[in-house]
Amino acid sequence: MAFFKAVLFMSLGVLFHAAYSVAEWRYYSRKTDQDTESIPWDIIIQTLAGFLLAMIAVLNIAGEFKEIRATVELSQKSWEDVRNRPSFYLFNHRAMALSPDYVPPSPSASGMGRSHLTKIPDKYLS
Amino acid sequence: MNVQEGRELLRSWREDNVRRSMDVVDLWDSLLSQDPEALGDEKWMVLEQVAVAAMDVQRRDVVERCLKRLKAEFDLDSIRVRRLYGMRHEMMGDWESALKLYDTILEEDSANSSARKRKIAIHRAKGERPQAIGELSRYLNDFLCDTEAWMELCDLYLEERDYAKAAYCCEELILHNPNNHIYFQRYAEIKYTQGGMDNIEMAKTYYAKTLSLNPDNIRALYGILLASFQLASSNKMPAPKKQEFMKMVMWSSKQIQKRYQTKNAPIDPSRFIQAFVSQPPNGQSGASS
Repeated sequence: MAFFKAVLFMSLGVLFHAAYSVAEWRYYSRKTDQDTESIPWDIIIQTLAGFLLAMIAVLNIAGEFKEIRATVELSQKSWEDVRNRPSFYLFNHRAMALSPDYVPPSPSASGMGRSHLTKIPDKYLS
Repeated sequence: MNVQEGRELLRSWREDNVRRSMDVVDLWDSLLSQDPEALGDEKWMVLEQVAVAAMDVQRRDVVERCLKRLKAEFDLDSIRVRRLYGMRHEMMGDWESALKLYDTILEEDSANSSARKRKIAIHRAKGERPQAIGELSRYLNDFLCDTEAWMELCDLYLEERDYAKAAYCCEELILHNPNNHIYFQRYAEIKYTQGGMDNIEMAKTYYAKTLSLNPDNIRALYGILLASFQLASSNKMPAPKKQEFMKMVMWSSKQIQKRYQTKNAPIDPSRFIQAFVSQPPNGQSGASS
């Protein structure tokens, strides 16, 4: 990473230098009234080399590429995660009974009186 | 694990839509509760996530702490905080107060989808399934693109054993994301449950599509095996088609055995599958029931 950052810095320097060279060349060619229209070869090569180096450096700095096929990423997903719906959560499920604040429903509410859970009500005894 | 790692773990769970409420609360207890300020900009998101997770496992102390912190920052003017307080009422089983709070949100912002969804969830929690279905259908008229709601409606119809309508919801989900193998698998399962030769043949096709989207989906392979076997053992099926389905049975059973061998599974299913395949296809095995 540090290496490619250095390469990027260098290539930007190269590109800047190429741009400056063109400006300078234009200045002199105008002053001397030369007819040569095309930019000198060395500057073109320098520009292309700087561009290529910068491209390689940026591609390496940007990080991992993502898979282009949508199915590859989706096939990692499990049914549990896909069917999870946070906006429809219900809270009255079995985790309630595992919480430290849980108060079991009072026995009187279940129609068994204050007796033990396993006791059979009198009406079912002969 | 330090705070940084804990924060990243919570973020990945948030983004991948993982429930794991017990783990979230454990992480909060052991790591983040000492100094929530260390979380930086993500603090409020984490507090909301932890609060919902704590409601899910009924840890009232954690819920109170998170909500107090959020209320101190954003006040009850914030719709998001008010919704969290409504959910806290739901956790306590106090449906009336929760509904009142959601109504104040809807008065302020009638297009607030999350408050409407919570009202539907309350119907479901109270066991009023027909009302929940009615409300949800009306909601889906307004918000057609809500996949979560389509999934919820699909599940509600399944609870009502209305397979045709559940299948319709699943079709809607497939249209929203035609690359997700899980929707295809779900659709195939609904069709298979619905029964009848046409539906089972349809189920087989959709299981095959699931498999082409995700070759590791073992459930789809078993689905192909079961559906083709049923089709092959049907009396109405013409002989050449039967042969074709028997070929599918052989192929899928071989594929399943191959998967188990490469994954070093502790169980070897080949014995069961062999017994299954060696049954006479149009015998009195009762497989077509």
